[in-house]
Amino acid sequence: MTLRIARTAFKNIARNKRRSILSGAAIAVAAMSIVILFAFIGGMSKDMENNLRSYYTGDVNIRNVDYEEYERFNPVHLTVNIDDAESAISNTEGINAWVPRTTFGTSIYIDGTNHAAVGVGADFEREAGYIDLEEIVKAGRLPEAGKNEMIMGTVLAENLHFSIGDKVTIMTMTASRGTNAMTLEITGLAAFPVAALNSNNLWIPLDRVQHLLQTPEAAQQIMIETAEGYNRSKVAENISAALTAAGTPGDVNDMENMSLMFGMLKLADMIYNVIAAFFFILGSTVIINTTMMVIFERMREIGTLSALGMHGKELVRLFLLEGAFISAVGAAAGVVLGIIITLYLGRVGIDFTDAMQGVDMEISAMMYPVLSIPKTIFVYFYSVIIACLATLVPSRKASRIQPVEALRYI
Amino acid sequence: MKNKLIIFALILLLPASAFAISGEEIVRKADDKATYDSAEMAGEMRITDRFGTKTSTFNSWSRGENESLIEFTSLAERGQKVLRTENEIYLYYPDAEELIRMQGSALRQGMLGSDISYEDMTGGKDRASQYKIEVTGSETILGRDCWVLSLEARTRSVPYPKETVWIDKQDYIVMKGEYFTKSGRLLKEMEVLELGEIDGITLALETKISDKMKRDSDTILIVKDLKANVALDDAIFSLEELSW
Repeated sequence: MTLRIARTAFKNIARNKRRSILSGAAIAVAAMSIVILFAFIGGMSKDMENNLRSYYTGDVNIRNVDYEEYERFNPVHLTVNIDDAESAISNTEGINAWVPRTTFGTSIYIDGTNHAAVGVGADFEREAGYIDLEEIVKAGRLPEAGKNEMIMGTVLAENLHFSIGDKVTIMTMTASRGTNAMTLEITGLAAFPVAALNSNNLWIPLDRVQHLLQTPEAAQQIMIETAEGYNRSKVAENISAALTAAGTPGDVNDMENMSLMFGMLKLADMIYNVIAAFFFILGSTVIINTTMMVIFERMREIGTLSALGMHGKELVRLFLLEGAFISAVGAAAGVVLGIIITLYLGRVGIDFTDAMQGVDMEISAMMYPVLSIPKTIFVYFYSVIIACLATLVPSRKASRIQPVEALRYI
Repeated sequence: MKNKLIIFALILLLPASAFAISGEEIVRKADDKATYDSAEMAGEMRITDRFGTKTSTFNSWSRGENESLIEFTSLAERGQKVLRTENEIYLYYPDAEELIRMQGSALRQGMLGSDISYEDMTGGKDRASQYKIEVTGSETILGRDCWVLSLEARTRSVPYPKETVWIDKQDYIVMKGEYFTKSGRLLKEMEVLELGEIDGITLALETKISDKMKRDSDTILIVKDLKANVALDDAIFSLEELSW
């Protein structure tokens, strides 16, 4: 009996190819969109975490014990001694790389006017083992330690009409809460992955920043990359213990405990998931709507089948099977298409450079979607199940009406 | 003899206000007192903020009311200079290859993070013509009888639209000052902590300035040495010499 109904379902699908293809295509487009959306959101989350790790916190971060309390007052003098940090790090397992960095607010002086920027003091030799500097420096070369040189974000350079070889005077507050200024030569232009950095960052050799800010032998923070398989929180605990044992306590936190930064990441994740839920509901509506419409428009056919002796339950089964076949093929096509598009975009990326200008978020201007296999499998089965369930409402209704009444439907 | 008696009687009959010095005159005399034809000074600034107190030392040279040069001598700021010419303020930093001209909102920044802004330096000393001045009373500060004067700006080109100042009746020294926005919000306070005499000149040896826009912040300006009316080379106040 079931086999006969299945054969009928197949025949029905084949009989009205245009209707079946349109219905399947709607399901395919919905499934494909959801797969791409999940990959896009996955990519954004991963990207934000990478950027936080590379440019803001590291997996583990060491700062002065009082820094967080006074952070909003730009406490340039609250620093970490690099030698103290190095000895604590060298006595701790599970560390891949570490870099000292000092980030400070500055203004670029051009003919009597000041332009706000963010200076970053970096040890470029160490940075090479921490971030992909080759990829970042798009033109020119890296600054040399001991020289008054800098690399400037490409967007900032473009906005202020600077190019390689130009000399730029910057002013800033010092650790003694006075002011100081320094003239630096631009040796390279940097295309940072984060738009905000691109439009305001100047990277300067750390020793020159120490001189400028009057913070000898010190950095504002030490950013640490943990080795694969090591727990960030455990590594942070061990470094903290080593610093305390050496009599030089520091504020050591793993990424999750950097209150503001990771909190922002979590908030962003939540916002993405809410957006995803909306699109997911939208996709589901397309599937439900298409499936239900296909059945409602076939009331005359249902009446004929009832008149020929097909019972209510058989009718429900027939439409359920029709929906299942169409959605299985449609969802499969959509998911495969979604995977292909995601893999392609994951390789070439989506360029949001123009759109991200002036956006102060830790999201890269180039977005690379990340495919999630479990989520993709979920999307496939979800699409099939939702399509099958959507057939139940109209087919159950149809099974309860009299053949004569059904035949009146136009 | 009869005529003399009549004149004496007329003088006695004149209202007391005819002898009173006007607010404009008090302020003009106070500004003149604070301005030297030329002067060389050594001083110290003790700047206190939420992170503690730091001391910066400096030497300064001034000529008239529009030219001055400050050179910082304390370790953290050694070699930094602030030059005020008639219309501009320039900063020199040893590691900068160009002079920095302060203008616009940058003038409101505190010099070396102190409570004294660059704008305070530019404030012309001819307040008598820039403000509508009214004597509102008398008060005693540091044992000295002072006029209390209320100043309201006639022009927009002054750092503070409203001021209340206490001026010593004996030596015309500004003993205290309160500086307000147009709507009456207190921006800054100045108070002499110690008066003294150097080289025969009575002046404020210690003055406390508090920027009310900053929390827990004040600056004490201390005059260590002063030589008035000394011969100064023109080059001291030139841009060309500033970077040397």
